[in-house]
Amino acid sequence: MVADRPPFEDLYRAYLGRIYAYVRAQVASSADAEDITAQVFMNAYNAYERFEARNTTPAAWLFRIARNSTLDHFRAHGRRERLRRTIEHQPVAEVDPSGVAEDRIQYHALLERVAKLPERQRDAISLRHSGLSFEEVGVLLKCSEDAAKMLYHRALKALKEAVAMEGV
Amino acid sequence: MSEPEDLELEALQRQLDDAFETTRPRVGFEDELWTRMQASRPAGSRLRDAWLGLIQAIREAPAVPMAAVAAVLVVVIGVSVLAYSGLRFGGGAGSSASLSSGGQPYNAGSAGAFGRLPSPVLSAGVPPKAANAGQPAAAAPDAEYAGAVTLTWTGKLDLGIATAPVFRYREPSTNSADQFATSLGAILQNRPAGYLGSYETTDFNVRVRGTVQAPAQEPSFIILPITAVAPIEAAGGPVDVAVVFLAQHSLAPSWPYTSDTVVSGDVSKVTLSRQFAVSGYGYAYLVDGTGERYGLEVDLKGNKPVSAAGPLPLSLESADYSIISADEAVRSVLASSSTSAGAANAPTVALTTAELVYSLVVAGDHSFYEPSILFTGSFKVNGTTYVKHVMVPAVDPSQRSS
Repeated sequence: MVADRPPFEDLYRAYLGRIYAYVRAQVASSADAEDITAQVFMNAYNAYERFEARNTTPAAWLFRIARNSTLDHFRAHGRRERLRRTIEHQPVAEVDPSGVAEDRIQYHALLERVAKLPERQRDAISLRHSGLSFEEVGVLLKCSEDAAKMLYHRALKALKEAVAMEGV
Repeated sequence: MSEPEDLELEALQRQLDDAFETTRPRVGFEDELWTRMQASRPAGSRLRDAWLGLIQAIREAPAVPMAAVAAVLVVVIGVSVLAYSGLRFGGGAGSSASLSSGGQPYNAGSAGAFGRLPSPVLSAGVPPKAANAGQPAAAAPDAEYAGAVTLTWTGKLDLGIATAPVFRYREPSTNSADQFATSLGAILQNRPAGYLGSYETTDFNVRVRGTVQAPAQEPSFIILPITAVAPIEAAGGPVDVAVVFLAQHSLAPSWPYTSDTVVSGDVSKVTLSRQFAVSGYGYAYLVDGTGERYGLEVDLKGNKPVSAAGPLPLSLESADYSIISADEAVRSVLASSSTSAGAANAPTVALTTAELVYSLVVAGDHSFYEPSILFTGSFKVNGTTYVKHVMVPAVDPSQRSS
């Protein structure tokens, strides 16, 4: 039974980039994204022996841990401050040296815009574009596959309007 | 939904796909985190993983007779128990830890796991260099002494280790170069001859090339600013300015180093000399074919970086190899003088110091960083002091292919 699971390193190498991108779309800095990604894989590594491949896909399992870790991060670092920034549409004040290079990437502004969407819309877009099926998105967001599709399309429209307003 | 709106949403979806696809952690993060995860696990868990991996491998080879499987399992269990109890075979030739003391993330293999190694091309080609009194050898001019020399050894050498790690990297592809450039925020411009790619941001150009055969050089990058770089404020002088600049571009070395600054006119060249951590020995410098230390270089004009060049961040595997003893190293270096002592009146060079170093050995799809012993001494000819380096490959000859 246990041997049906792929080696954890295979999962790690396959999903590290996608998990990082998902987390990066949620948080303000690449340093935070690295910290949370590290926490995700540390937790996953320690829990891997309890992972049941027949109950869920490795992707859905890892993204569930990533989502929980991101929510924990927000809880620990002051949801109120983040909400204030979101409402005021203010850029993050902190200097983030490790993010300087990344800031040059063409789509950084788009991900910042995703990060400002309401939580469930942000999750729907991030999870979907991280490669999860609508069924997997639905399971993670505790709704049906159809509801996940609707949520995603509402989020996409909201993002389009925001992009049009801000000229991203 | 109207058709134009559909098209706009589809375009946005493609942009999102690209955005999520191109957002990746900095170079080196993957290996750093993996090493941390490995280090955080109890030894028992790691043993259990190895055990499960073995079982899976056996499942995937159903043709193996059960008796043979049982025999292999008995051997593996025995070896595992001994390994985890701290016992070692053959004078310490066990497999190395996955994390060296220098914090470098390596994927460790078993002893001798790379097979017979190609030999470094070293000692015979290392010319003596003229040195000014009181100046370090690195700052000496390149006046070569072409004549033969006779070597003597007057120093003391105690390596204190019977094995040393050999490091191996896989030759990077254009894909690897593209990923590196993407992590800097640079876009591919073209692929000039001899390079894996040339890339640009709005601020700088970066070129990446693979391993160079001769003189041997590992895969490397060079950054040249396109626009004037803003001065960097750093409290500690040129080295700090260089390190801050590298950190801003996620290029700060993940390996141990020492720093050195050489000023020439209005340009300060900061060199971060690369080291490898060797368990039981300490840190060993990376040297080129002439015995000179090297690593990552940043040229500065005042507080403004004007270029940076260094090894491409690559994942290294390591495997321990038996090395020669100090006595064997001394015998080997003295024997090398007989070939160069063609002239009867060749000057005598007293080698006085020796240290473990690493040098690059180019070998096709995979290349190696192999240990050597670097002997150093100085001598005078016509009133000029010269420095002489001689290197002897450290890996036991029985484990070398040439």
